[in-house]
Amino acid sequence: MLRSDAWLRRALAIGVTFGLIVAASGGGTPTQSPTGGASVPPGESAQPTEESKKGGTIYILTQAEEWDDIDPQRAYTGEDLAFFGGTIMRALTAYTYSEEAVTANTLTPDLATDTGTANATADEWSFTLRDGVTWEDGSDLVCEDVKYGVSRTFANDVITNGPTYAVQYLDIPSNPVTEGDDAVFLSAYYGPYNGTGQDLFDQAVVCDGNTITFHLNQPVADFNYTVTLGFSPVPDPTIHPDLPDAVDQYTLRPWSNGPYKIEEYTQGNGGHFLLTRNENWNAESDPIRPAYPDRWEVLFGIDPKVMDQRLMASQGEDAYAVMYGNVQPENLATVFVDPETPTPDFADRAVSDYDPYSRYYWIDTNKVSNVKHRQAMAAALDRDAIRANSGGDFAGALGDGVIKPNIGQDYAETGMWTGLLGQAIPDNGDPDYARQLIEESGEPMPALTWDYPQTPTRDQEAAIVVDSLGKAGIQVTANPIPPGQYYGIVFNDDQAHEFGWAGWGPDWPNASTVIAPLFTDKGGWNISRVHDQDFVDAVQDAIATLDRAEQAKKWQDLNKLAMERVYVIPTTFGLSQVLAGTKVKPIYQWAPWGSWPYAVMYVTP
Amino acid sequence: MVGRSLRQIVWARLRRDKLAMFCLVVLVIYYMIGIFGPVIGPSLGLDPYAFDRAAISDRGGGPIGDFGGISAKHPLGVEWGTGRDILSQLLWGLRISLVVATSATLLTVTVGVIVGIIAGYARGWADMVIGRIMDLVLAFPFLLIILALSNVMTDRITDLGVPPGNPSRIAYLIIVISSFGWPYLARIVRGQVISLREREFVAAAIAMGSSRRRILFTEILPNLWAPLLVYTTLLLPAYVGTEAALSFLGVGVIPPDTTFGAMLANSVSYFRVVPTYLFIPGTILAILVVSFNLLGDALRDALDPRATH
Repeated sequence: MLRSDAWLRRALAIGVTFGLIVAASGGGTPTQSPTGGASVPPGESAQPTEESKKGGTIYILTQAEEWDDIDPQRAYTGEDLAFFGGTIMRALTAYTYSEEAVTANTLTPDLATDTGTANATADEWSFTLRDGVTWEDGSDLVCEDVKYGVSRTFANDVITNGPTYAVQYLDIPSNPVTEGDDAVFLSAYYGPYNGTGQDLFDQAVVCDGNTITFHLNQPVADFNYTVTLGFSPVPDPTIHPDLPDAVDQYTLRPWSNGPYKIEEYTQGNGGHFLLTRNENWNAESDPIRPAYPDRWEVLFGIDPKVMDQRLMASQGEDAYAVMYGNVQPENLATVFVDPETPTPDFADRAVSDYDPYSRYYWIDTNKVSNVKHRQAMAAALDRDAIRANSGGDFAGALGDGVIKPNIGQDYAETGMWTGLLGQAIPDNGDPDYARQLIEESGEPMPALTWDYPQTPTRDQEAAIVVDSLGKAGIQVTANPIPPGQYYGIVFNDDQAHEFGWAGWGPDWPNASTVIAPLFTDKGGWNISRVHDQDFVDAVQDAIATLDRAEQAKKWQDLNKLAMERVYVIPTTFGLSQVLAGTKVKPIYQWAPWGSWPYAVMYVTP
Repeated sequence: MVGRSLRQIVWARLRRDKLAMFCLVVLVIYYMIGIFGPVIGPSLGLDPYAFDRAAISDRGGGPIGDFGGISAKHPLGVEWGTGRDILSQLLWGLRISLVVATSATLLTVTVGVIVGIIAGYARGWADMVIGRIMDLVLAFPFLLIILALSNVMTDRITDLGVPPGNPSRIAYLIIVISSFGWPYLARIVRGQVISLREREFVAAAIAMGSSRRRILFTEILPNLWAPLLVYTTLLLPAYVGTEAALSFLGVGVIPPDTTFGAMLANSVSYFRVVPTYLFIPGTILAILVVSFNLLGDALRDALDPRATH
């Protein structure tokens, strides 16, 4: 069963940052000149050679006491996906390693020979596997392994918490059973362990030699991005008797097909996760992973303050360490001159860049059903104080929607604060206008409660919410919730209140992974409980739009519409800061997951 | 010549103790501030809820200026991230701390005395049952229970008609602190009662046919007030500390209100950068607790001069 804080970290996963789980790149410029890495052109002086980069151990310090999930069908935390993807878990396609966000967000073939072929209507996608890819026991990775991996997503009784795009897009009817034990399954196919509906799955996913074909229930123009999430292969037990599938325990010891394999994994405070070289990995079959260090060691259960101090000191093994988390607010002024520039002491090892996440406050549209009331809440909120409290310039820019500029073409200004709500709203809120909106609504404003996962910083944020809405005559009570239980509670209709804190980032650079999960019941992050049929129809229409530019326009309009109706109040487009030891390179945030560029990292002597 | 009562003797002894009198004055000042601070504060321009965006930096939200942003406008500096005035927060926070500690002490003493007298006087199976109950309560890992039950219990208290939010949470704090504190007091009282019970004046009262109620509360109780007074003055500072610890752990009041513990919890993050933020509430809290403790000691000495060293 789900551990209590797994909820939170799943959240992080899917997008919701809690501040612990790291940051990213995307919009901003790299914070310092290139210091190494695969993308640096040859000829620059003092560049280590490919050979000299090899060897050593890179340490990862994390506050978590264990992984959320390493199971290829269940991993969903951005930073985890980047780390596993760079070391043990390959997928059909992958993202490019580059400091440039635009380049980094482009797909590159990984297990497949190209980035996939679609038919004219984009509802049938094929990928051809490379030759020479092997599992850690040396046996060949075959098409059936990819198919078996995808099939596990349907076993909702044991494979909990992972991305469910396979269920959403593959051409298999939804589960007709809605009551009893079998209602847990999302699809008429119950997964490989139960076996019900296997023929449906065999028709939807077809292996022909080395080519795997996916039949979809709707046109999905960017399905080759979808296969980066939850479509990783798992050894088919009928083909690989030596590599058994431990079902729900698979997450403790998945079989590797990347350059490293799991040597040791101990959970809990003081636990560690050790990766050593996978001798059966074939470098020629893997164009994107240079695999420089000999070992990766993840150290669990490190207090964030201690983590900061260790990395700032960078003594001993810590010189080879990177942080899985954020620099704590109190140390920002020591490490950075401003959000663009680290101080001289930290010049080559600190990064500040836009992460993939938008922070916002969800508003339960059933409990606050009058749109004027929601607009009044947005107008009254002192967003400037909220930004200052979470770090000012280091916290990022004030948001104007749920789509963040570093996604690329899907973003356009919504004008939320410059007239969308009837008139321009200053950053510190306009209580008078909020009162006017409440008056126009014709109904008394209900008393509100603001839910939030409790940290000292967010306690202060709660004070800002209570006070700034109070100035407009809106009575708010703060409701702190233990962080590990936060999303469990706010998704429970009986326990959630009127509005609360949240954050979300796209699963790949398409706003279909933002607008659809947030404001419709597809994708499961509809904390605002929006059920507007016109909106659902428009989202469906946008997903099915194959012309990418036209689709981008539709997402922009939907983002704007959602803001006009104030399904959420956007607060900040987050910026995150991370720190590494002195001897780890290259130092940049990799845009796709807002993470370190694990696959191309190396240590210097 | 009129003989002096015990009360007068004790008061005379106490007045000779300069340290004790100083502590008493300090405590009176604290209570005055706790009671009247939030009443007259606003007219002096103090507001614990007002944000001062100008007092904090755009880069990380740290206070502008030395020692946590100490200035004429903010004599004790401002809070990191919001610019709220520390002095105002202390004034308002003191009231909550004192309300919780004082109420919890009164509740503890009331319950402890009643249970202790009954156990000590009744003997036999009643004494045994009460004794086992006390053992049971003392054996509970009380901190864990307080942390685990806080949300559930706060909701229950709200259901009972206490306003939601801080009133319920304060009620919860008072109830849990005292419900785990009474057995200590009850044991002391029980011990006293067992020895008093055998004294001649009690025997006389029984012989004259006094009701049990009269024996318990008119004959025995007045003889308990000396140890009770000492225990109470020592219990109060302990409860001030307990309240701070619980707030520190996040069980206490919710924003925008604050208490010492919440301020200390908050300040720990910034300790390396702005140490004053930790020291100021810490010092104010320490003075309060030390004053109570010294007064309690002095009171014990005054009541029982033989114990003075």
